[in-house]
Amino acid sequence: MAKRIMTVDDASIIRLMIKDILVECGGYDVIAECSSGREAVDKYKELRPDLVTMDIVMPEMDGIQALEEILKFDPDAKVVMVTAIDQRESLMKAIRLGATDYIVKPFEADRVMAAVQKAFGVA
Amino acid sequence: MEAKKVHRALQLVASLSIDKASQVFSKMIKVGAKIELEKVYVADISRATEELMVTDDFDVIGAFVDLVGDMPFKFLFYVAADDSLALTDLILHREPGVTKKFDLYVSSTVQELGNVLASAVTNVFASDFQIQMKPTPPQVVHDFASTVFGEYIMEAAADQNEILMIESMFKVVRMDIKCRMFLLPKGDTQKTLSGIIGAA
Repeated sequence: MAKRIMTVDDASIIRLMIKDILVECGGYDVIAECSSGREAVDKYKELRPDLVTMDIVMPEMDGIQALEEILKFDPDAKVVMVTAIDQRESLMKAIRLGATDYIVKPFEADRVMAAVQKAFGVA
Repeated sequence: MEAKKVHRALQLVASLSIDKASQVFSKMIKVGAKIELEKVYVADISRATEELMVTDDFDVIGAFVDLVGDMPFKFLFYVAADDSLALTDLILHREPGVTKKFDLYVSSTVQELGNVLASAVTNVFASDFQIQMKPTPPQVVHDFASTVFGEYIMEAAADQNEILMIESMFKVVRMDIKCRMFLLPKGDTQKTLSGIIGAA
C-alpha cells in the first residue's frame, strides 16, 4: 500500500517539486499540501499521514512550532524538515524535538528519497 | 576612517554572501550561473530611486525578505517579469519556453529564490562572523522596478537620507537572465557592525 505523505511549504513550487520526486519514485501518495504551520497541524490531526515534509520558515506558524504541535498530538509522527537555512542551531533544535531527518534547499531528488526512506526504515 | 572600515567589512560580507548565493543559485537551476557583485555604495535615497527609474524601468517580480536577528537587514531580489517565466522552467528542470503565462508557480519561483538567496546571506553571517540572523517568509511583489524599489526603501527613508546598497547582477550563462539583489542595513545595524569592526 502506498505511503501517505503530506507536504508543507509556503512556496507551491517546492511542494510541486517534492510531489514530483515522490510520485516518480513510486509507492507514495501525496494526500495533502499545506502552506503554513497552522494549516499543517490541523490537517495532520484530520488525515494522520504516514510522513510530513515540513518547511521551517513559513507565515502564521513556523515549521519548528508545527513540529512541536504535531509531536504533542502524535509522538510517533514522522516529520522530515526542509529548510534553506543551513544553520546548525535550527536544525539541531528540530532533531532534538523529534524530527526524523532534514533536507537543505536546494535539494537533489536522491537526498529527498534518502530522507523519506530512512524515516520508513528502508535501507 | 571608521566609516571606511565598515564599508570594507560590508563589502567583504557582500562578496562572501554573493559567492555563496551564486553556488546555491547554480545548484537550484541546474545550469551555470554567476552572480557578480557590482557595487557596494552609500546612496542618497531619492537619487538611488531616480537612477533605478532610468536603468530598470521595466516590469519585475520581486521578493522582499526581512532578515531578523543580531544585525537586521532588508533583502530584495527581483527579476524582469518576462525572465521569471524562464526561471520557473529552469527550476522545474523543464526546457525554457514551456511556461508562457504568469501563474502561481511563477510567483512561487521568485518567492523561493528570494528565500534561498536571503538564507545564503544569513549563512555567511552565521558561519563566517558568528552573527545570527534568520529570514522571515518572503513577500512577493509584481510591479515596475522603481515602484518595488521605492517600497523596499520606504521604511529606511523615514529614518535616514542615505542608505548603503549592495547591488549585484545575476547571469544565467545559457539564458542571460539578469536579476538584482539588494541588502539594506536596518536600524542600528551599521553602528553595530562598526562596533564589531572597531573591537577587532
